[in-house]
Amino acid sequence: MTERCAPVDVAIVGLGAAGGVAAHVLTDAGLDVAGIEAGPRLTADDFRFDELRNDVHAHFSQPKAVHEVPTWRSDPEAEAGPSPWAMLMVNAVGGTSVHYEAMSFRFHRWTFEARSRVVERYGEAALPPGSTLVDWPVSYDDLEPYYAEVEQAIGVSGTAARVAGEAPNPAGNYFEEERSKPFPMPALRRTGWSELMAEAATRLGWHPFAAPAAINSEPYDGRPACTFCGFCQYNGCYRDAKGSTQLNVIRRAEETGRLRIETMARVLRVDVDADGMASGVTFVRGCTEYFQPARSVLVATFTYENTRLLLLSKSSAYPDGLANNHGQVGKHYIAHVVPFAYGLFPGRRLNLFNGVGSQVTCVDDWNADHFDHSGLGFVGGGVVTAMHELMPVAFARWPLPPGVPRWGSEWKRWMKANAQSVGALFTQFDALPYESNVLDLDPSVTDRDGVPVIRVTHKLHANEQSAHRFFQVMMQRWLREAGASTTWEHPVILVEGRHCYGGTRMGADAETSVVDSFGFAHDVPNLGVLGASTFPTAGGHNPTLTVQAHTWRAARHLVDEWASIASG
Amino acid sequence: MVRDPLPAALLATLTAVVDRLIPDDENGPGAVQLGVVGYVERTLEGEHARHRRAYEEWLLRLDECAAAEHGVHFVELDVARQDELLRRIEAGTSAAGELQQFFECVRTHVVEGMFGDPSWGGNRDGVGWDLIGYIGPKKVWSYEAQQLDVVANDDRRLASGGPG
Repeated sequence: MTERCAPVDVAIVGLGAAGGVAAHVLTDAGLDVAGIEAGPRLTADDFRFDELRNDVHAHFSQPKAVHEVPTWRSDPEAEAGPSPWAMLMVNAVGGTSVHYEAMSFRFHRWTFEARSRVVERYGEAALPPGSTLVDWPVSYDDLEPYYAEVEQAIGVSGTAARVAGEAPNPAGNYFEEERSKPFPMPALRRTGWSELMAEAATRLGWHPFAAPAAINSEPYDGRPACTFCGFCQYNGCYRDAKGSTQLNVIRRAEETGRLRIETMARVLRVDVDADGMASGVTFVRGCTEYFQPARSVLVATFTYENTRLLLLSKSSAYPDGLANNHGQVGKHYIAHVVPFAYGLFPGRRLNLFNGVGSQVTCVDDWNADHFDHSGLGFVGGGVVTAMHELMPVAFARWPLPPGVPRWGSEWKRWMKANAQSVGALFTQFDALPYESNVLDLDPSVTDRDGVPVIRVTHKLHANEQSAHRFFQVMMQRWLREAGASTTWEHPVILVEGRHCYGGTRMGADAETSVVDSFGFAHDVPNLGVLGASTFPTAGGHNPTLTVQAHTWRAARHLVDEWASIASG
Repeated sequence: MVRDPLPAALLATLTAVVDRLIPDDENGPGAVQLGVVGYVERTLEGEHARHRRAYEEWLLRLDECAAAEHGVHFVELDVARQDELLRRIEAGTSAAGELQQFFECVRTHVVEGMFGDPSWGGNRDGVGWDLIGYIGPKKVWSYEAQQLDVVANDDRRLASGGPG
């Protein structure tokens, strides 16, 4: 027996970073929206200063994500096993924007034109074998107005370098693209470590800047300023100073009276009508199954679940899964490759066990095509970050300098002498999409309800391995310039399973992509797919602001074209 | 939750391993003294339950290794021999190669208990944090406290698991 919910104009699956923005834009335009969210509502009281609860035991992933962790394999002939990488996101109103570090970068213009620009400068031969690198079907200029909207709506702190019509500000990011508006707040407070690393980068001739972050550096939008507690990542803000979407765009959507939120609701499938149009979604809460009718459906969950939900939504019109009649769902999966380097600053107290992860110094000198790649063996790059917000357990699990034992009295002595003197850098490398790297449904592993989980097939290619070496050299140079006596690297090439892209790629051609430049499915015109799963490439920055800008644009498109997109 | 504690003999072996990973010495109390065994036991029946059976097999195997090499239980070896066996297990060069996985798992759990929030049973009174010079959770860090080479003067840590 399925209960039928009151029909709405738009059903959004997942009220996170993307779904929250969509809900705001759509309700603001007068559409009635149902937000179907797997997690609960959380408030500031739910956020505690406890690394074990938040980080180690994944408290905020318990409602759903922990029961369906994707499996992983690098060999397409092998059986997939447990992922070697952290994979979890948050299930809650606000989604993973509840616990993110809130770094809010715009992508560089180059990112949207990556394939053309690589070919133009280095020739076709520079495209790595097997890669499916493409240009995006949207440009920086297409997204710019929406970047600006999101920065104002969620509240982003930062130092603008290139505001249209104004002289460049050297305190901002030298490589920043032109922006129509400045950030609504100044950058977060600097720290001793962030200044130390900025000075060292400047001496190297690089261009350090303070990361832009959706965290209040001063009171904004009725919410207070950050107090730098140091429990920002894997946790929500204890005083609502982070721009998580439940505190801004979702709140505004609810205030219109046109957003109904269904919490603890696990979506089973997107349903279709006789014409092959999306007709709504079926979800379960407790033991009851519900059908939410809608004239348009937006799937706005995390990368893995976006692909999974489409593949699970089989019908006679879509026998291989919804929007998959061209076999593109699950293709072009990418995860950031994240080189980590560590440095020992003997006798110094760096005070990194406080503050928030977004108080950092970054450089974009090795991002995009800001440097000549001739002879380097890779294309693209990434932002390099001098990290903050160390956590005791995470720190104690870091790799140690060569020769230092990992346990026993000698380790304890080293920890006592040096724990406050270790700094770390990491790079978010713009890893490429490849034919070999795909998502599908695992044939043998299921969640607790017997539903297949996603299986990741991911091979590390030469382009990424060359980039890893390059960034290790650059990062260890930066650490030594800042005073590190010893530097070392993580012994394995780290893949960031939570910074992942593709599976429902956007593009102009239905033969090579799933959705159009607005995120609407080529095969199913009233079905939108939102989130980083639509990204054709990873980009060398944190993805969330681009997810949100793209979503804002997609939702505006739905409003503007409502008569032609909506079914019924 | 169904209670499923480790048998006493295995718990004794586990305790001996934990005591070697973070011993009580001139740099402060060890993991056993700070309640870390209790943390591991507790989470093996909850958050780490998926490792519960493996722990039992691993600990038995560790004892078999000790018996095969020295004719006694692991707990009866002197600490030098315990350390020597653990080093080979860590390096994957012991007779029981599968114990390398055990070593990594138990080290992870011991580190959690040693440096995690005291409300979980380990890191008693925050003494694990003292080892690494971490003051503990605070709501507000001043500009001065975030400078290099200074120790925040207001070093009163919040009650564990705070705020809320």
